[in-house]
Amino acid sequence: MQDNQVKPLQAALHGMDGRTYKTMVIYFQGPCKGAAVVVEDIDAEVDIIDADFPAGKEALEKIREKNLPRPIIVLSREDAKLEGVLFVEKPIRLSAMLAAFTQARSVIESKGLTKPLPVATAEVAETSKGEQEVDSKKQRVDLEERKKTAKHKTAMQLDESGFSNFIGIIPGIDFEDREQVLNASYSPKNYFQGYVLSAVKVAKEKNRMLQLNSNWKPLLIFPHSHEVWLDADDKQLRAFASLEMNKATGTKLTITAVDPASSGAGANLERFQDMDAFVWKLAIWTSKGRYPKAIDINRPIFIKHWPNFTRSLITPHALRITALLINGPRTMLNISEALNVKPQYVFVFVSAAYALGLVGQAERKTDDLLVPPPPAPAKKDSKGLLNKILGKLRASK
Amino acid sequence: MSQYKIIFTGPVGAGKTTAIESISDSPTIKTDAAASDMTKSRKASTTVAMDYGVMNLAGGEKIHLYGTPGQERFDFMWDILTIGGIGLILLLDNTRADPFQDMRFFLDSFSKFIADTSVAIGVTQMDLSNKPTIEEYHIQLQGLGLKTPVFSVDARVKNDVSLLVQALLYSLDPGLEDDE
Repeated sequence: MQDNQVKPLQAALHGMDGRTYKTMVIYFQGPCKGAAVVVEDIDAEVDIIDADFPAGKEALEKIREKNLPRPIIVLSREDAKLEGVLFVEKPIRLSAMLAAFTQARSVIESKGLTKPLPVATAEVAETSKGEQEVDSKKQRVDLEERKKTAKHKTAMQLDESGFSNFIGIIPGIDFEDREQVLNASYSPKNYFQGYVLSAVKVAKEKNRMLQLNSNWKPLLIFPHSHEVWLDADDKQLRAFASLEMNKATGTKLTITAVDPASSGAGANLERFQDMDAFVWKLAIWTSKGRYPKAIDINRPIFIKHWPNFTRSLITPHALRITALLINGPRTMLNISEALNVKPQYVFVFVSAAYALGLVGQAERKTDDLLVPPPPAPAKKDSKGLLNKILGKLRASK
Repeated sequence: MSQYKIIFTGPVGAGKTTAIESISDSPTIKTDAAASDMTKSRKASTTVAMDYGVMNLAGGEKIHLYGTPGQERFDFMWDILTIGGIGLILLLDNTRADPFQDMRFFLDSFSKFIADTSVAIGVTQMDLSNKPTIEEYHIQLQGLGLKTPVFSVDARVKNDVSLLVQALLYSLDPGLEDDE
C-alpha cells in the first residue's frame, strides 16, 4: 500500500488514446501502489507523455514550448535525449517508472511546486427560478471514476403494448382528442430532468466532476468519461422523474463538488451509466408521451443525426421516426400522420432527442410553408421482403 | 428465386464475421486463414475470401449475409459481392489508428452501391477506446454529406447487430411496417 504520509504525485497524461490512458491509470493505482494519480492538466505537478503516439509528439512539443516549471516524463521506445526531460523506456518497467517519479518529486520539491490535492468546485448555477445553489466548500476529488471499467447496456426496445406499462400514463390527457394532443406539452425544468440537464451543462462547461443534490439521491456527473452515477435502479428513477419538483420536494436542489465518502460511488461501480443514455431515458420517463413546451407543435422540427440506438431505451417507432425526420424537417403531427403512428410515440421520441440536443425547431421560414412529401417507399417487390426481414429481426431480439 | 443479400464490410478485426454469426440462422461459413503481415498484429486469423450466413424468412425466403474480406488486396471481390445487395453494414474498429480514414476508404470503395441502396455504420471496440466518439463520426459524415445511422456495436450481441440492420432497412424505407 502507498504510504499514507506520502502524497501521490499528481500527473497529467498526454497524447494517449483511451485504452492507454485507462491502462496508465490502473498501472499507477496497481503496480505503482498509488505513487501517482492522474489528475486534470490544471492540477498536475508532472506531465507524462507517450511520445510514440503521433498526438504524443505534438503534445510534447506544445508542453515544451510552454516552458512550464513542472517536470516532464516521456515514455518511449527510444530516448530522444531531450534536455530537462525524464525518460522511461518502453516497455515500461516498474522500477524505471518509480525512479522517474522519485526524480520528478525531487524537481518539484526543489522548485517549491508542490500542489495541494485537487479540488472540484462549482459556482452557483442559477436556473430561472434561482433554485440551485452551490456549496462552495472545497473537497478532495476522488478519482474513483477512473477505477471502474466501462459499463454498457444494450438497448431495450419497447413495443406499443409494453409502452404504457413501462412508461406510465399522464392522467388527464386524451390522445384521441386533437385539442388535448395540441396541448400535451410539459416543461422539463419543472422536473428532475431540468435540473439534471442544467447540472450536466455546468459540469461540461467547467470540465469538473459535480454532484447534484436533492432530497432524494445524489447524482454524480463525470464529464471526462461522459458518465453519471446514481444509486438507484430504473424503477426508482422512473418514479422520481415523473414528480414535479416543487410539489415533490419543496426543497432546493444544489450542485456541489463530488463527495465520494457520502455518495458511495467507489463502492458500487455498477451504478455508472453513460450520460447520454441516462438523459435520454430520464426525458422519456418525464415526458410519458408529452412533448417539450419549448417546441412549437405547429412548426417543423429537424434532427441532427441518428441517436445511438444500441445504447438507448427505444420507444415505439423510434427508428422509423428518425429515418423519416433525417430526410428533412416535419411537424410532429405530420410525422404521426405520415407513419400512421400515435402522436404520443412521436412526442416521447422528440422529448428524448430534444434533451440530448439532437432535435430542434426548424428555423427557415420556408420550412413552414412546405408540405413534406410522404416517405419514398421501397419498390413494391422489395418492400415485402424488407418487412419480412424486419419481422424476423424483431421477433428474435 | 432472387438472391437477396446484406453485405458486411470493414477493416480487419472490426467484427464482420462475429456480426454475421450473431444474426445468422445457420452456422456461418468462414474462409479464415492464419494471418500474416500487418493483420497478424490484430488477430490470429482473418477472412481471405468471404463469410457467409443466412436468415430464414417467413414464406421460405432467405436473406444471405456476406462478409467481405477486410484486407484491401481482396477488394476486387467487393463489386461482385454487392450485386443484388439490399444494403451495406460497415463495421469500424475504434481501436485502429485512424478509424475515420477507414470509414472514408470503405464509403468511397462502396460509393456506387451505397448510392443505389443505403449504409449503416457500427463502431466496435468502443469499450476499449471511446475516442472518436459517435458524435465525432457524425461530424465526419456531415462533411461527406451523409446522414448515416452510426451506432456503438458489440458484434457479439445479437440485439446490437439487429438494431443496426433495422436502421439500414428503415433508411431504405421509413414507411416499412413493423409489427410493433
